[in-house]
Amino acid sequence: MNLKHVTLTFGKELREALRDRRTLAIMILLPLVVYPLLSMLAAQVATGREKQREERPSTIALSGHSPARDALAAKILANPSLFVLLPGGAPPDVEHGRLDVLVEFDARDASNLTVIYDASRDESRAADERLGELLAKSLPDGCAPRFSAQRRSVAPQARLGGYLLSKALPLFVVLMVLLGAFYPAIDVTAGERERGTLETVLCSPIRRFDLMLGKVLAVATLASITGVLNLASMAITLMQILHLAAQNFVVDVPWGHALLSSLVIFPAALLFAAAFVALGATARTFKEAQTLLLPVYFLTVAPAMAGAIGEYDLAGLPAWIPGMNITLLARDLLVGRATWYGGLATLASTLLLSAAALTAAARIYDSERLVAPTPRRKRTAGSAARDANAGDAMVLFALAFLLLYFVFLPIEQHHLATGLLASEWIGLLGLVWLFARVTGQTFKNVTRLSRPRPRALLGAVLAGCSAWAAVAILSEWLLPAPKQMLEELRKSLIPMDGSRGFFSTLLLVAASPAICEECLFRGPILRGLRTRFDAAAAVVVTAALFGLFHLDIYRLIPTTVLGVLLGYLALESGSIVPSIVAHFCNNAMLITLASLHLDRLMEKLSHRALTLVLIASLVLTAAGLGLVRGARPKPEV
Amino acid sequence: MLDPLAVLDSASKSFGDVFAVVELSLSIPGGEIYGLLGPNGAGKTTALRMLAGLLAPGSGSARVAGHDANTAAAKRHLGYLSGSTGLFGRLTPREVLDYFGQIHGLARVEIAKRLATLAPVLALEGFLDRRCEALSTGERQRVSIARAVLHDPSVLILDEPTSGLDVLASRFMRAFVRGERDRGKAVLFSTHYMAEAELLCDRIGFLHRGRLLVEGSPAEIRAQTGTNTLEEAFLALAEEPTFAP
Repeated sequence: MNLKHVTLTFGKELREALRDRRTLAIMILLPLVVYPLLSMLAAQVATGREKQREERPSTIALSGHSPARDALAAKILANPSLFVLLPGGAPPDVEHGRLDVLVEFDARDASNLTVIYDASRDESRAADERLGELLAKSLPDGCAPRFSAQRRSVAPQARLGGYLLSKALPLFVVLMVLLGAFYPAIDVTAGERERGTLETVLCSPIRRFDLMLGKVLAVATLASITGVLNLASMAITLMQILHLAAQNFVVDVPWGHALLSSLVIFPAALLFAAAFVALGATARTFKEAQTLLLPVYFLTVAPAMAGAIGEYDLAGLPAWIPGMNITLLARDLLVGRATWYGGLATLASTLLLSAAALTAAARIYDSERLVAPTPRRKRTAGSAARDANAGDAMVLFALAFLLLYFVFLPIEQHHLATGLLASEWIGLLGLVWLFARVTGQTFKNVTRLSRPRPRALLGAVLAGCSAWAAVAILSEWLLPAPKQMLEELRKSLIPMDGSRGFFSTLLLVAASPAICEECLFRGPILRGLRTRFDAAAAVVVTAALFGLFHLDIYRLIPTTVLGVLLGYLALESGSIVPSIVAHFCNNAMLITLASLHLDRLMEKLSHRALTLVLIASLVLTAAGLGLVRGARPKPEV
Repeated sequence: MLDPLAVLDSASKSFGDVFAVVELSLSIPGGEIYGLLGPNGAGKTTALRMLAGLLAPGSGSARVAGHDANTAAAKRHLGYLSGSTGLFGRLTPREVLDYFGQIHGLARVEIAKRLATLAPVLALEGFLDRRCEALSTGERQRVSIARAVLHDPSVLILDEPTSGLDVLASRFMRAFVRGERDRGKAVLFSTHYMAEAELLCDRIGFLHRGRLLVEGSPAEIRAQTGTNTLEEAFLALAEEPTFAP
């Protein structure tokens, strides 16, 4: 062995690999950014649902006559946060979900009771668990039990089988369909480009939409086959595992329901195929497409996982969130609980998004970017300065996230104010300053920290002072946070115990984030993404990153919506000063309301009054945005 | 003079801050082989792509058989082939030709008839049902030619089609192009092999840094520059900007 040759080759390969941005992205971005972000959001969903479940009292009824009945009723009534005692009920009420748990007393034996629940329903299982704890608590230590409780589930064997399958199968099927769409989507787009067949096709008299629809349908068919085969194989395997684990445990496979649930595979495959084909179309090479699609793959898994963990009902917002609604519909079909609304909403949202992705893919294929060489820019002689690009934007976001997650969050847990200030001024503003130094630009130029027009400032104040209401009401309607979590957040950020004064809170929670977050997100990140996307897409992607950066699933919608508004202000005014002002006003309004306890007053408003507040907020915000529209200063000649 | 089938009229194209083609005008009638010559990066491929409807001119226009180049009507009259043109590797030549034939609106029977005519001319018979990925470079290029002419287009755009081919395959290609010219097709041929252009082309345009330096038959260009070969003529033109139009 020639050790010199080995080390030479080792060095050369390592140098080449480390100079490849995509290798670095896979090596750093996935493990350090995507996994922590996803696991944190998933944990929040699980905790939030657990808290919401704890907040919901179980419905219970007692039947039969026994002296023990009154004692138990008294215990139940003493725990109104756990139980709502209904006047009467029968086992079919439990089976059909009208009642969570029923207690039947044996008239012949006063100490004998039967707890009737539905083992295929989470709410009923939770009620059974609560009742068990209540019965146990009613015994003094060392005493013989006063009750002999038997438990009986009214769930038919097939429904129980469906319930057990529904815990794992829908998510696995979505994952398999995603995987089934992944490589074919890359192959028909970036693969075609790499093999040199693209020009030939584009020179032919075929409409781009027809071409892309053909490609999407092919990918969707392959993904569907993957999904169907996996569903069948997993259903059988899971049942065999359960049977092996407990020989006397008899559960039927609800084949009819399993077959019905396989119907979700086709819209899911269509959606993932269209989204992946659209993304793959933007990539120049197979490797670039893999790098682009991999984070999207994980981000698509996130809502599906949230659906599986969160045990949401397929109604309201969850019925319209792509990915999540597919998991929930598959679950409902498996347990025989699917509703027409859930099914149609899932189908409609999936088809709408698929059509949008398909149209985007056709537009990309219709544009010249597929065959045109990469645009070259002339550099001024002697100047090394360069503007931010999309790659820089993503690297900056990843770095800011890494600093926040691994450095400043632990500090915040020890001392909130220090951690918050450090994360904003060092983690965000420091990063922008460093970026300006590295790229040879001034801080002012990197952030577009320029003097805006007075009407832009006025519009920013108006929008910033009014948008919070619409954002808060809409997010409360769409994805309400558990009350306990909201209270904890409020206490930590806006303490009412006199430990921090109003102006200190204003500085910490309004001024500091307004300056630092805007300098990064509406500065180089938005400008960098603008070099790759059109204005609307750049604003939305920046806002989504801004929302994710807040590391809170329940604040994801409000922060993203706010991000869109701030991005619009920055682009329209040509300066980040209006977005700083609006961001400050928004946070300051929330602090002021909380300090005056007006936020609790809002919680008590009727639906009608909230609708009026929402309309007023939207009108004022629109007026503010209207003032900023076209307020970009004329370029100097 | 016959009506031109392929026309670039003062067409310009830039990428970012860099102009690839500047106010280029070309006009190729049926029955002519027009050679677009120039070094790497001269703008040949960009000019050809504008005519093929792959790139839209920033200013000026590109027309094929009287239609705007970026329309389905123009593409029905166009056969495009480049040295880097790939084939669907996992399909057989017969399947590839069937796909493109149907996209061009040919019925299955017509495709079979055309294939029966083209297969002996291009010597495709031995590998029509073998996967394209298993073919040699020369065989692939012959399949590509068949694909480009299957629908019998009136305009052929060939972007460095002999690049990477051996002597025999290049010779075969030149013979085929002459045959198509004799059948009344307008052929636009780009190459940076001057000797090849001299052998093949009826008219030549020299492109340098996106601009057309000179246009004429090989003999006219040699006479104009007072040189013996096209290579010498090009060097003289590229160094003497006074020849620029």
